Amino acid sequence: MKYRPITIAKIESGIVIDHIPAGKALLISQVLGLNALARKTGNIIAIGIHFDSKSLEKKDIIKVENLSLTRNMLNVVALIAPMATISRIEEGSVTEKHKVEVPDNVGDVVICPDRFCITNHEQVPCKFFVVDKSPLTLKCHYCETEFFGPLIRYKEKS
Amino acid sequence: MIFKGRDIISMNDLSRDEIDYILARVPAIQNHPDKSSLCRNKVSAMLFFEPSTRTRTSFEVAMRNLGGEIGGFYDANITSTVKDESLWDTVKMHDGYGFDIIVIRHHLKGAARVAAEAADAPVINAGDGPNQHPTQTLLDLYSIRETQGRLDGLCVAMVGDLVNGRTVHSLTEALLKYQDCRLIFISPRDLAMPRALVDKCARASQKRGISFIEARRIEDHIADVDILYMTRIQMERLQERALAEKFRSIYRLEAGMLNKVRPNMKIMHPLPRVTEIAQDVDETPYAYYFQQARNGLLVRETLLALILGAIT
Repeated sequence: MKYRPITIAKIESGIVIDHIPAGKALLISQVLGLNALARKTGNIIAIGIHFDSKSLEKKDIIKVENLSLTRNMLNVVALIAPMATISRIEEGSVTEKHKVEVPDNVGDVVICPDRFCITNHEQVPCKFFVVDKSPLTLKCHYCETEFFGPLIRYKEKS
Repeated sequence: MIFKGRDIISMNDLSRDEIDYILARVPAIQNHPDKSSLCRNKVSAMLFFEPSTRTRTSFEVAMRNLGGEIGGFYDANITSTVKDESLWDTVKMHDGYGFDIIVIRHHLKGAARVAAEAADAPVINAGDGPNQHPTQTLLDLYSIRETQGRLDGLCVAMVGDLVNGRTVHSLTEALLKYQDCRLIFISPRDLAMPRALVDKCARASQKRGISFIEARRIEDHIADVDILYMTRIQMERLQERALAEKFRSIYRLEAGMLNKVRPNMKIMHPLPRVTEIAQDVDETPYAYYFQQARNGLLVRETLLALILGAIT
């Protein structure tokens, strides 16, 4: 393999989201609100795109210099990257490593695709139930619309 | 089974046992010796953001028959919603006035669920856009059981605009909780039952012996059904007026089509009807839509009494 010197440095403390399908890291960063988190805390977020991977051929990777993201919050990553792994790093060592799990409920990170849904007309935070994990199928808590595939669109958080 | 203080938002929130319980309590209200004092000093807020004839009137009469009072509005244009007040705030405010129960109709899907989250008082969904209309479904189920003696093992055909009609969506969801029903969805292709609901029928078919087909012509199936549930082609939701007129002429029931139907067959319709049931059908022993509408009063009285704790 050709030597490519670009890499993402190790972090002393924080979360590593690895094995993200190539091209999905920015979306995940958006869904997790990492930009806002960095602005608020002064922490650094490193996003690597299109790195070589043994299992995925190409992958994205995110390193967050912050430990406040809980397992539940990170499970939302499974909607976009079902094979992603989460490593928790404390004092330079991995203290926990696990695969993401598709949650039973999804919060205000997805847009209901039904244009007649109240959430698309008033400031009501969205809530969804996961009715099927494969293919990922969501049901709106409010309008009860079930949807999957490209109809699952994520909210952009600045 | 406790209904006191409970929200009624969607048929999906009710189990088969709970539906059966509500329907079984209807005679208790119908024959109650002191019905007019059951809900004395109770006040219902009627928050009708969208026009309604039967639902609104029957809720009003139901509350008065139980000795209660009503307040609220029937025209959102004379409220602060025209000043962009949110649904949440409107409901919150009415809740603060001390209403014992809130009945809401709104043009947007999910509005009743939002109302239930905003209010401490129990909320009844009287229709949220094309989504759910649970009290209509309960009165439909009551009417079906009244005429057929059961809800299991029936053949029910739903006809007309199955994509936009919330009553047929809720009724289908409800019938999927029963055993061995045969459902026939008769509509033009453009107005077919939503895919998610058809998929749900397919999933229920293994569990509860449900069978279903999608069909195009009333005449092909009319001899097999116990209930023929007609619906209106919703002109306001179809962009091409000519297409709506065409569908209305095809999905029309006339007395001459009833020669070979089962003797127990009943024709139901959530009303209002336009042209889909000819007036000559009204005189046949199969027409049941006006009794069905009357049953709405009984079912709504029962629900109000259960939720307000007047009966258990």
